Amino acid sequence: MRMPGLFAALTLAVMAAVAVAPAVVSAQEAAPASTDPRIKFKDGERYLRDLSETFEIPRDEICRELSRYDCSNKAFRIVLGGVDPYDARVMQPLDQATLASPIAFDRVALQVCANRVARDRADPAKALLFKSAAGRPDRAWRDALTDRLYDRILRRDASVAERDRMAAFLQGVEGRTGRSARGQSEQTLLACFALASSAEAAFY
Amino acid sequence: MNLTPSRRGLLAGAAASLAGPGLARAARTPGGADPRFLIVLCGTGGCSIVDSFLAVRESESANGSTLNAWPDQLVQSPGGGPFRAIDFASKTIGAIPVPFTANQSDFVKRHGQDMMVATYTGTSVNHGVAEHRSVTGNAAWRGRTLQEAVALTYGAGKPIPNVHLVNGVSFTDRGTDDSLPSSAYGERAPSPNLWPLSLDGRKGVPGAPDAKLFEAARAFRNGTLDPESDFVRTFGDSVRLKRWLELRGAPLKDIEGADLITQLMVHSDSEDMPLKASGLKSSPLAKKVREAFPAYGFDPLESQAALAFLLIRCGVASTVTLGPETSAVFNKGAALGRGGLSAGDMRNTPIAFDFSHQAHREVQSLMWSRVLSVTDRLITLLKSEELAGGKSYWDHSLVYVATEFGRSRNRPAGAMTFGSGHDLNNGALIVSPLVNGGKMLGGVDPETLMTYGFDPLSGRPEPGRHMTEPEIFSGIIQALGIETPGAGLPDMRVMRRKA
Repeated sequence: MRMPGLFAALTLAVMAAVAVAPAVVSAQEAAPASTDPRIKFKDGERYLRDLSETFEIPRDEICRELSRYDCSNKAFRIVLGGVDPYDARVMQPLDQATLASPIAFDRVALQVCANRVARDRADPAKALLFKSAAGRPDRAWRDALTDRLYDRILRRDASVAERDRMAAFLQGVEGRTGRSARGQSEQTLLACFALASSAEAAFY
Repeated sequence: MNLTPSRRGLLAGAAASLAGPGLARAARTPGGADPRFLIVLCGTGGCSIVDSFLAVRESESANGSTLNAWPDQLVQSPGGGPFRAIDFASKTIGAIPVPFTANQSDFVKRHGQDMMVATYTGTSVNHGVAEHRSVTGNAAWRGRTLQEAVALTYGAGKPIPNVHLVNGVSFTDRGTDDSLPSSAYGERAPSPNLWPLSLDGRKGVPGAPDAKLFEAARAFRNGTLDPESDFVRTFGDSVRLKRWLELRGAPLKDIEGADLITQLMVHSDSEDMPLKASGLKSSPLAKKVREAFPAYGFDPLESQAALAFLLIRCGVASTVTLGPETSAVFNKGAALGRGGLSAGDMRNTPIAFDFSHQAHREVQSLMWSRVLSVTDRLITLLKSEELAGGKSYWDHSLVYVATEFGRSRNRPAGAMTFGSGHDLNNGALIVSPLVNGGKMLGGVDPETLMTYGFDPLSGRPEPGRHMTEPEIFSGIIQALGIETPGAGLPDMRVMRRKA
């Protein structure tokens, strides 16, 4: 379909504006509450497929309970909102989350993050999330990590406030993890888990 | 961020506000000074009372050759009590060449003193509708299910009061009483062997941080990251999101705090379940449970029963619902299509009791035998564990074998193998030290094989009377000591132990 000239020009102008806009959103832009807040749970399979793509881990390797059972297809299929008409005769996703659902979701998020961080440690040249600080971990290292996490997990930029909060968290746990490369990778894992198990990651 | 008070408080508060002083008293004592456990064992597909404890001998009926009266020699009267039993062996199940031996009399001999059979006539021959009515008494008490009523009364202090282990049936559908606290509704445990893994967010995850760091990350997420995110600000009023955030609070802490990933783990370390390699271990009671249910690894009913016991014994649930799956279950290693199946290879018929459409007597015999065998082993386990004061868990438990309906009574003259349809008329098996045990309430007309009712106060048989779903529901509720002020339920005194 050909776009009318004016519409095409406007579209290009908007795209150009977005392209040159600052990568970090202003902290002052508070979102209004929705008057019709309808959201859906990103069930286990959708969640793992998304993270498989963005974490660059093959789908069948990204999360396996006891190293054997796929987290979504086997271990937590129904608990994480799936169906199993042939074996379990569960034809519809559960109406609402079970008591186990957020626990299982945390477990899956932790496994996926641990999986990615372990790969990053094993092959730093291809690291996606965990990248060692050149010296002591500083604010720049924390901001860069935050940006990578928001980009990979939530597919958006972090706001200034979100960078501040994540930096404060990372600094807070540094006393326990230490500043070594090992400690930095652990901080990466914790931050990844927090973001990957957030409400924004679980629902859409 | 904890958006709601703890579930324990919620349960007690809701119970107090909803059900009057009697129920509030019960809910104020977490775990219950005198706890009760309800085990709903689903006889999916119509387990027929005239093919078990109310069986009629051919010689007793003028119409015995064309009704489902059993050959005299197959109808036992074990122990001289009121219950009959069918012990039956066959080389086939209808057209399926698989020999089996079924036995009901052993169960009667062992548990006759705790058995109570109450006849009734249902209101639907639709599977789903009838299944749900069998646990709500056809909406006898504002539509709440038996399991929900038990969870509400006796579930305070338990991390998961109401657990549904069986899939694909409406015995586990939520009741229609929306006024109950969310913790009273059933929690689905769809795959009993793997489900315990979903009860801890960290243990057994390779490369997981230590517990304190993990909790720090959760606290950051719950207390800062989520509440201050645009997403939660925008969609915070969503019912789904509210529930999600609520569950992350006290319910999650209750479950993980009880170490259920260990306490409910039936499996031992094995190639299929490499627990040790993941830093996990079996329940301290697992060996005992595995010995009782040796087929737990491949037979869904045994895996459900194993977990059901642990859920009760470990103080996790006040009610569990289990039952035969509606898929065929074969012995491990059974060779299909290579010269036929060996004796006993078919453990569960396809569509469970409902395969009676194809082979009524064989299916009823095999499936009753299966249900009774699992019940017997569950009772034995519950008897072996002391709850308090010299009383076992079984002393506080009630098994209700719920089913949709009975089966049609007619058959081709003299036929041993025939199919049956659904019929509203039937009876319920309840086994418990809490009920008026050793009693057959109601009876059967040998000329029609239809059951008739009884006086709910004295138990006197009343030919021509048909007990209703609300009456059976009420009898169970009352035997469990659940107070029901204002509910308008009938007094079913004869079903209680101290009748």
